Amino acid sequence: MSGFLTVAYLLAGVLFIRSLGGLSKQETAGLGNTYGIAGMALAIGVAAASWIFTYRMTAPIGLGLLMAAILIGATVGATMARKVEMTGMPELVAILHSFVGLAAVFVGISSYRASRAETLGQKGAEPLVDPIIVEIVHRSEIWVGVAVGAITLTGSIIAWAKLKGTLSGKPLLLPARHALNAVIVLSIAGLAVPFMQAQGVDEGFPWLIIMTGLAGILGAHLVLAIGGADMPVVVSLLNSYSGWAAAAAGFTLSNDLLIVTGALVGSSGTILSIIMCRAMNRSILNVVFGGFGTAENKTSTAAPAGEVHEMKAPDVARKLLEAKRVVIVPGYGMAVARAQQSVAEMTRNLRDRGIEVRFAIHPVAGRLPGHMNVLLAEAGVPYDIVLEMEHINADFPRTDVVLVIGANDIVNPGALDDPSSPIYGMPVLEVWKSAMVVVLKRGMSAGYAGVENPLFHIENTRMLFGDAKKSIDALVAETRGSAAA
Amino acid sequence: MQIGVPKETRPGERRVAATPDTVKTYLGLGHTVVVEAGAGEASGIADPAYAAAGATIGDPWGADVIIKIKPPTAAEIEKPKPGALWVSLIQGEREPGLLEAMNAKKLSVLALERVPRVTRAQKMDVLSSMANLSGYRAVIEAAEHYQGLFGPAITAAGALPPARVLVIGAGVAGLAALAAARALGAEVRAFDTRAAAREQVESLGAKFLHLAMEEAGEGTGGYAKVMSSSFIAAEMALFREQAKDIDIVITTALVPGAKAPTLLPRDVVECFKPGSVIVDMAAEQGGNCELTVPGERIVHNGIVILGFTDLASRMATTASRFFSTNVANLIAELGKADTFKIPLDDDVVRPALLAHSGDLLPAPPPKAPPKAAIAVVPPPAAPARKSVLPPPADAKSAQANIMKPTRRAWGTTVGSMVVIVLLFVLGRFAPPDFLRHSTVFVLACFVGWQVIWSVSPALHTPLMSVTNAISGIIIIGGMLQVGTDLDLASILGALAVLFAAINVAGGFLVTHRMLKMFARGAPSTPAKASGGHHR
Repeated sequence: MSGFLTVAYLLAGVLFIRSLGGLSKQETAGLGNTYGIAGMALAIGVAAASWIFTYRMTAPIGLGLLMAAILIGATVGATMARKVEMTGMPELVAILHSFVGLAAVFVGISSYRASRAETLGQKGAEPLVDPIIVEIVHRSEIWVGVAVGAITLTGSIIAWAKLKGTLSGKPLLLPARHALNAVIVLSIAGLAVPFMQAQGVDEGFPWLIIMTGLAGILGAHLVLAIGGADMPVVVSLLNSYSGWAAAAAGFTLSNDLLIVTGALVGSSGTILSIIMCRAMNRSILNVVFGGFGTAENKTSTAAPAGEVHEMKAPDVARKLLEAKRVVIVPGYGMAVARAQQSVAEMTRNLRDRGIEVRFAIHPVAGRLPGHMNVLLAEAGVPYDIVLEMEHINADFPRTDVVLVIGANDIVNPGALDDPSSPIYGMPVLEVWKSAMVVVLKRGMSAGYAGVENPLFHIENTRMLFGDAKKSIDALVAETRGSAAA
Repeated sequence: MQIGVPKETRPGERRVAATPDTVKTYLGLGHTVVVEAGAGEASGIADPAYAAAGATIGDPWGADVIIKIKPPTAAEIEKPKPGALWVSLIQGEREPGLLEAMNAKKLSVLALERVPRVTRAQKMDVLSSMANLSGYRAVIEAAEHYQGLFGPAITAAGALPPARVLVIGAGVAGLAALAAARALGAEVRAFDTRAAAREQVESLGAKFLHLAMEEAGEGTGGYAKVMSSSFIAAEMALFREQAKDIDIVITTALVPGAKAPTLLPRDVVECFKPGSVIVDMAAEQGGNCELTVPGERIVHNGIVILGFTDLASRMATTASRFFSTNVANLIAELGKADTFKIPLDDDVVRPALLAHSGDLLPAPPPKAPPKAAIAVVPPPAAPARKSVLPPPADAKSAQANIMKPTRRAWGTTVGSMVVIVLLFVLGRFAPPDFLRHSTVFVLACFVGWQVIWSVSPALHTPLMSVTNAISGIIIIGGMLQVGTDLDLASILGALAVLFAAINVAGGFLVTHRMLKMFARGAPSTPAKASGGHHR
């Protein structure tokens, strides 16, 4: 049985790798998801088969529990996935991470209460080392697994609340937050000592629970101190944590599939975080401990001089119709206003008249990596006109009109030429090089980074104030109306 | 400081160097302004308008600063008081001795045509603002002398193709001409020796003609340079061939400080159809066409050749407004009345300053202007006067250290060493079981690392949700912990299974939904995709 299990797990691991590989290209992405589902089905199926095989019919209660848990969980998950609006995607991903964290905590505690790794699954070779060391290693595995799980759990919940707006996007900056973090980390390490020395399960148990609480506080505090603008990085970081939590559970339970899969997810999340951080020209440490992403540094930039030119929707529509090349820069504001359908319709109207319309996506636009692509795809914008920053930045000088919809920091020229700006050095979309920029915005407030944007004061920038959805709808009506005329 | 605005005396000059608007600007800077009676008449500005703006009508020659359009005539040099600042076009190379004569009078001379073509000085660049107007006017003049329509017409009385216009030299004037001709409905082609011009020509909807041979024509400051003889031969062949179907030619080719190149020698001109119009915008500098007579309209073999040298002046009202605004911006650069001085180290003012307090100033060492100098010239339709300057074209995003390959290499090396040392320590002390797991773990990390880097940014969200679903593999861990008895371990295990199952089902389904939307150019999908979750 053990050999069969190992082969099945190996196969599942390969399928997961294929899945991640498939997700790297548009053409193979669907196939990648299918591989993932196949791998998961195989793993769960084999695990269930071996479970039934091991216990035969001697464990009706356990079987009932298992069936009920899987059924309820799958139903809840499927409902959540079907119901979610694409604009609510970041929240969903964040809350799903917390579930992995929670599951990891449960698995860790449960395996401490009763280690069943030997009864089921892969049985390791007979230990040649001192059994005390084996026990210490086993307990540290549990310790680490539960800690990572708890951090993921609370961190994800806070991230979810911040994304949802339940919690303010502003970072909570306690006076001695670094010291606080250090104290918690040290006590987590310190509490391991009595836990290791505990003589029985009941003696060690309280220590484990206390540590879980501490790790939970640490996770919550870490994410609380990170501003809303950095949530894409936080979400992908938590994504990697959820992987590490699964891998730690794999160590605890001596299960290679958990280790492999957890490691895959962990490194994938790490890479995503690194990509995000590079896009913002920051290091991960700066994001996690910087307490950045809000108005903290606001005072460093003087308010740029110059007036703001307003333009009304009919004039903007006229400019769009006169243009030959239009680039649309969507930002979080488009997601908030749920304007993507209207944007897509306007795009179709303009394209029908032979106007070249393209989309420029900044790597950190939105609150989730790739957020804008998802929204535009939902609205049916063909993906070959949706371009990344590096591919479109050179084209702005040739562009007649740039429409900035609810984006701010990612089009801030201060990032290139103002060393006092907190976002100095971050690559941005160089929209100001085009003949004309129209910024759709609710008001003159600063962006998420709390930085003034000199773009709004440049001579060839026009502001179209109002709700993005309403403004775009007006443009849709205008572009369609004049088609008939 | 008193600013004097004399009436232009050179024949054919209708512009004036100040308007009531710029008079107000000067007063705002603390200066006083004296305008000669009738100075603005030809531009449609009557003396009372100046007076209403706050200027005095009277003798301008006693002023501290004289602003004018054209260079002084011999008589005018004698009029200002010694030490006065003279601001106008000078074009000393056309009138040798002029500058020396002005210097002998101890005048400080600011030559407007010498204002460098840098972004900061754009608002003072009279050459660009005048070239813009001239280019437009050249098309209008051509239209007047051309016997046909510019736009195509299919009528009951017969069909007409659009007029075919060839613009030679796509500088500011050329581009303005091109845009104007396009706006009238003509089919426009353009030729320029500078490769950078192609993009600008095409951006205005005209066709760019190019030679089979390659020779870059970029000179300094966005102007063209003199080309080799073989290039010119190829150029002539091109023009001869084009002559067959071109109706209107507008030539704007200038090389700074030299006679304009002859692009249309007699034999090429004779290739054109009778009734064609050639507008030679370089007439003043010797003409691009061999037959051009500066300032005149001549007809050769039925081909009309316009050599007008006063194109901008023919739109005196607008030209005066632009010109005087440029001048006012330059004067404002010198400071308010109480701090007024000529900044000798200013990189805009210094190159334009030819003489100062009795000394002729040598030209400053030329600074290499940015390659894109011509590109920052605003398109004629929208002259950009920037209140806040966008960062220069060459502003590089200052990627900090984290992107440095050396630093990354160091990080990777140190990281791997740490991992190896750890593995050795583990190998010595840890149970073999743990060691085996660690090996698997490290290998899997590397596999993940290699696979993920190639992901396309658009797929970040689906990738994240699929990894999310995959990390639901912890469901196996939960299953392992459910045993025969209903104890804490089993219940926790079952709960872990429950939450992990939410993750698995939710993650895969959401990924599926997202990927379904990533369809290329299918307008029917949105309805389906968005309809899905309302059911």
